[in-house]
Amino acid sequence: MRTTFDACRLPSFSSESPTGPPTLAWETIDVSEGVAVRYPAWPGDAAERLLEVLREAGARLADVPVRDLVTCVGRVADRFLDPSDLIRHRAIDLLVPTAGLSKEMASEILTGMARDWTAERLTELLRRELQDPGVLDGFCRLDEGRSVRAKGPLLTFHVGAGTVPGVSVTSMIRALLVKSAVLLKPGLRDVVLPVLFAEALAEEAPELSDAMAVTYWPGGSSPLEGLALQRAEAVVAYGGNEAIRSLRTRTPVTARFIAYHHRVSVGLVGREALTAERAPRVAQMVARAVSMFDQRGCVSAHAIYLEEGGAVAPGEWAALLASAMADLEAELPGGELTAADASAVHQMRGSAELREASGKGVRVFRADESFWTVILEDEMGFTHSCLNRVVSLFPTSDLGAVVGSLGELRSYLQTVAVEGADDRLPMLAEALCRAGATRVTTFEKAPWPPPWWHHDGDSVFAGLIRWIDLEEIG
Amino acid sequence: MIGEGGGSDAFASLAHALGTAFKESTGEAWPDDVFDRWAQRVFAYQFDTNPVYAAYVRKRGVTPSTVLGWSEIPWVPASAFRAVPLVSGDSSRVQRVFRTSGTTDAGRRGEHHVLDLGLYRDSLIPNMRRHLYAGRAGGPDRPDGEGPIFPILALAPAPARVPESSLSFMLGAALDGLSGGKGGFFVTEDGVIDMVGLSDALVEAAAHGTPILLAGTAFAFVHWLEWLQARNGGFDLPPGSLIMETGGFKGRSRVLERTEFYASLSERHGVPLGAIVNEYGMTELLSQFYDGPNVATSDMTLEARRHVAPPWVRTRVLDPNTLSALPIGEPGLLCHYDLANAGSVMVVLTEDLGVAVDDGFRVLGRAQGSEPRGCSLAMDDLLSGVPS
Repeated sequence: MRTTFDACRLPSFSSESPTGPPTLAWETIDVSEGVAVRYPAWPGDAAERLLEVLREAGARLADVPVRDLVTCVGRVADRFLDPSDLIRHRAIDLLVPTAGLSKEMASEILTGMARDWTAERLTELLRRELQDPGVLDGFCRLDEGRSVRAKGPLLTFHVGAGTVPGVSVTSMIRALLVKSAVLLKPGLRDVVLPVLFAEALAEEAPELSDAMAVTYWPGGSSPLEGLALQRAEAVVAYGGNEAIRSLRTRTPVTARFIAYHHRVSVGLVGREALTAERAPRVAQMVARAVSMFDQRGCVSAHAIYLEEGGAVAPGEWAALLASAMADLEAELPGGELTAADASAVHQMRGSAELREASGKGVRVFRADESFWTVILEDEMGFTHSCLNRVVSLFPTSDLGAVVGSLGELRSYLQTVAVEGADDRLPMLAEALCRAGATRVTTFEKAPWPPPWWHHDGDSVFAGLIRWIDLEEIG
Repeated sequence: MIGEGGGSDAFASLAHALGTAFKESTGEAWPDDVFDRWAQRVFAYQFDTNPVYAAYVRKRGVTPSTVLGWSEIPWVPASAFRAVPLVSGDSSRVQRVFRTSGTTDAGRRGEHHVLDLGLYRDSLIPNMRRHLYAGRAGGPDRPDGEGPIFPILALAPAPARVPESSLSFMLGAALDGLSGGKGGFFVTEDGVIDMVGLSDALVEAAAHGTPILLAGTAFAFVHWLEWLQARNGGFDLPPGSLIMETGGFKGRSRVLERTEFYASLSERHGVPLGAIVNEYGMTELLSQFYDGPNVATSDMTLEARRHVAPPWVRTRVLDPNTLSALPIGEPGLLCHYDLANAGSVMVVLTEDLGVAVDDGFRVLGRAQGSEPRGCSLAMDDLLSGVPS
């Protein structure tokens, strides 16, 4: 059966006008065979009204204690995590056709994402980032002769990418915590969670209702886009380099611009992890790290560097990894792919198999009925994955040498998952830092960085808040 | 027919037989059993003579004896032409290596190693004749009585200048074999269009009144049209002339909708829309597809057009997720079975999306996402990757 999902959640407009929201014309776009997304067109006057309502609500947010915000968001998170709550079921059912995920993966991702939206995690996030979250409510004494206050923007404009569902909600929550009204344009494949989240939060906290708008439009196509860039005090953008470039050039110089452009992540497996005892477990962890989000996350590894000289040779370990990928496919199946994504896998995998057939020493392990593919390369290098569980393995005689050459990726390198470097980890971490990486972790933790991670090297709230110093006078 | 052995003589006799069949064909589709016999023969030959393809096929549990019909013959992805040389036969006898323009993946270009340029000619000439030369009047008669001669003016470099271009080879072969040697090439090997030279040639053609074939890449036509537009000019082609454009824009020129593109071609050259033909072809295939007036069942509006294969090519539309064949009307990936590829690999899975219609297919475009790819990296965005 075909569903239509309205990728739009608007303020009530009640404070502004007794007539309610403006009348909007709707357009429809197919996301997959199972679902179409409907979204409003925003003529300039309606867009102006929306932005005005949001900015006014943003001004009123200054009076809401941050503790209350945490509590309200946390209650929504609890609902998303509650297996008996209908909102969780609705979210998962809609994520399958919109995000192109299996039901199992949708459930796994929702749990992982919502866990970081709970009151407990948000409180911890605020404490770690601000020490005293009270600075968001009023001036707090910082040191001798100085009090400080942290103030968020009146309105932040968020542009989501749509690769991993839930990322846009996290972005919204961070802005709400610093008491900013939010306009979110989600990516087409991440429309569900932001809309459901904003609806649920408005139910929990009617006073926040006018401070959130979620509305999809194809990038660059709506007058609202240009106006939002002008009216927002901060712009948070996730996306491809072209999209980021376009948004950046249109953002006023006086607005904050926080961008998360393309990233790649890789993994390193040292010879210490390639013992008969450890190797199978490492393979399982790598399989999970690669397959989570069907490899569409910025934290998802494209390539794994395997150190030679362990008890388990690269070829044997590749087979172990393949077996773990197959197990994981059964536990967390891959989703239905877009034609473009599926085509990319067929091309990359088929080419690798022809290289294998040419006897060069390349080996390919693959599923017959699904997309996971392990390509064991015969010479050092780096290959971008076509995503959706296609990973390349590069044997190397020395992990240290790999780290040096990763510097070539430095503008894009993000997470490096490491296993089996043992005593060499401090040295490797320093080298990875110099190579441009912003996170060194284990394969187990790689898919799920904590809320307070320095995403792409930045503090969570640094770009959003403005510090006000109150120096003691007299 | 199976098990002809791996010698180059085997290829020579196969290529000769295929070429003869191509030349003798009327253009009407071959019955299933005829195509099937040829396809199985070519597959058996490729299995015997192309160890890389044979190993790839064997990994899929397929051999010539397990294949019950042509549609079961394993495909290779188009990108494989970038990965390994695919030669069925004696690679020391490769006559020419055609290379792709390299617009998709920065770095590596696809290579088609061609054992017999004669077989390429035998495929392209009858096909071009049918779609671009036959059924038109107004040219001087050919000495062999095979219809009139139309000069070909090519918005592409001359084949001698770009021996790696399969398109230039094709246009050169047409100039020699179908246009009686009349016409010329108006792009340098560096891609610079000889605007003045082409203008002169078009003036001369108009004075002569003989219909011509103006053929080239869409990319070159876009620049030509911009040049004409900047001068507010145009050249009416003699009545009966055709324009053949190919190649798409591949992001190398400003986006120009096909409708707008054709309207502009039509206006600047005084030809009806129905006289503009798209050739869909690729370096990886030695046969081409046309959507011209000679195959139009109803009209030549862009919506009604479809590409038609010569009898020695079959195309299946495959579900991108499952790779099973899709019924007419459902969009999927185009997979071509081209007997003219006997010397390389016959079955090629493309990255093109299309939809099957009655006796052909419509190309819908490249299978590429429209949304930004989030925080994962698109292939083109990175420079060269890590050196070894």
